[in-house]
Amino acid sequence: MSGSYLARRFGSALFTIALIILINFVLFRALPGSPERVILRGTPNVTPAVLAAARERWGLNDPVFPDQFVAFVGATVSGDLGYSFIARGQTVSGVLAQRIWPTVILFGLGEFVAIVLGLALGAYSGWRRGGPIDVVGNGLSLILYSTPYFLLGMALLLVFATGLRWFPTFGMLTVGAVYPDIWARLADFGAHLVLPLATVGLGLVGQYAIVMRSSIVETLSEDYVTTARGMGLREGRILRHHALPNALLPTVSLVAINLGYVVAGAITVEIVFNWPGLGTLTVEALTARDYPVLQGVFLLLSVSVVLANLLADLIYGVLDPRVRT
Amino acid sequence: MTAAGASWSPPVPVRRRAGRMDLLVRLVRRPEGAFGVLILTVFGLLAIAPELFVGPLQTAVTAPGTRLSPPSAAFPLGTDELRRDMLNLTVHGARVSMAIGLLATLVTVLIGATVGIVSGFVGGRTDAILMRITDFFLVIPTFVLALILTPIIRDLVGSASTEVLGIRMTLIVIVIVIGITSWSSTARIIRSQTLSLKERAFVDRARVIGAGSGHIMRRHILPNVINLIVANSVLVFAGAVLTETTLSFVGLGDPFQPSWGQLLEAARSVGAPGLGAWWYFLPPGVCIVLVVFAFTLVGGALDDLLNPKRRGRA
Repeated sequence: MSGSYLARRFGSALFTIALIILINFVLFRALPGSPERVILRGTPNVTPAVLAAARERWGLNDPVFPDQFVAFVGATVSGDLGYSFIARGQTVSGVLAQRIWPTVILFGLGEFVAIVLGLALGAYSGWRRGGPIDVVGNGLSLILYSTPYFLLGMALLLVFATGLRWFPTFGMLTVGAVYPDIWARLADFGAHLVLPLATVGLGLVGQYAIVMRSSIVETLSEDYVTTARGMGLREGRILRHHALPNALLPTVSLVAINLGYVVAGAITVEIVFNWPGLGTLTVEALTARDYPVLQGVFLLLSVSVVLANLLADLIYGVLDPRVRT
Repeated sequence: MTAAGASWSPPVPVRRRAGRMDLLVRLVRRPEGAFGVLILTVFGLLAIAPELFVGPLQTAVTAPGTRLSPPSAAFPLGTDELRRDMLNLTVHGARVSMAIGLLATLVTVLIGATVGIVSGFVGGRTDAILMRITDFFLVIPTFVLALILTPIIRDLVGSASTEVLGIRMTLIVIVIVIGITSWSSTARIIRSQTLSLKERAFVDRARVIGAGSGHIMRRHILPNVINLIVANSVLVFAGAVLTETTLSFVGLGDPFQPSWGQLLEAARSVGAPGLGAWWYFLPPGVCIVLVVFAFTLVGGALDDLLNPKRRGRA
């Protein structure tokens, strides 16, 4: 991989992150009312002296640019995202840290399930184009693609939790439950995880199947596949050794690009199931107008997506020598 | 570029209209195009005149039914927790969802097409800067940006109860936010088409007779990318409806002008799935899926018919 390819990828990721931080900086100052009033919101008996002290304390007497901006960038880079308006005295990073793991578990597993199933379904239906699995799978994929995640979640919740009573309806663990050992706790967690996980998996599987299908269809019309056929190789071997590895390439960057949409889905699925992750945190912050937390969520999710895209670019560079220029 | 290229170059105005009708016919000839157009016509009618079908929008005061009752002869889709008829709400929701989708699409495509044409035609530094910004919006999770922009812009605008074109300010803010956050892919598509158009002879001819850049972009480039803009708008509309639904679902909608997403939010906050009240979220849910599905089908079909890069690949 050439140095300039690496440098360009890193440069553009860095530029994007810088813009994200800039947006956060500008947005906070765009709020109506002066910043010190925003910070002191809800505090009783605010006197001019208190206001002046707040201005001094938060560096609001310094010029906006460069002083305040530099301080803001410095703080952001060192992980200081300010304090939550609602959870008084708690730092935004602290609040985010409590809520990040449920989301990572749910969406990490969901992505994994969707990628495996979606790619397999897409590859098979593209290979057997026009067959029964292709027709049904393609229609289903398109419908799933048009369905908002949360709608799917509500339907699953209604059928499997309320109707059949197979799974609990909300949360990550049963409220007030006492567990004899770690396994009972894990089983309870698993029972709560099934429906949200199925929602995420089903919500995503359609997109991956559609892309993999068109990718494999395109690959199967390439000259080297015709050559392989001409050499008398068996169909199964052509698919596994010639078509699949090449057809998988575009899906690498697609998974990363899709992450942006997955994030939107994450927020809504968590609300449906009351899953205590970043999604429910976002809505709590939204309802309470907890802007520092909202900005923290925006920063965390955007930077994660940018880094995932960077990683995908690097992987792509390793897998496909043609792009390394 | 032979037969296909001919229909792409600027025809005389009289023939252009014939071309549009021809396009609609070709679209409807495809099964998925016909299905999509049919669904969109039905929802379009509902959105234009909901009163004609179900009377005025019911409020908590005028609600005729009983609380959360399942579908019956009097209320074919059941009632909500405020005793309102779900059929009434869903049909009126069509107007709100479709109107916001349409306006948001207009804003999105206006920004995207302007950026795309200017970027592609002017080139150089302008192009580099505009494309950097476009790439930024392509890569970040724009929905999360929309989530924080909406309340901030709403606080800035202030009075939520003022109406523009009969649409409440809260929803106008959503239109603007969707526009700001989702124009990037349109800009990319229009730019690449502009890049190839500006090398054509008719652009040189216009320049030789003294036309300025603004004139060329408006009178020569724009008419030639309009087909692409139309095809893209259909897909943008599908995305806009989904984004509006999701924003409403997380509590940023307007209960006084309920869209389908707002109805779903209400259903969730009452706990409809837990109460087994499937009639509360199924009607708006099915409508959303149908509309997005139809627009995706039509958008895909139009893309096949109009996009010069995909022509012949189907």
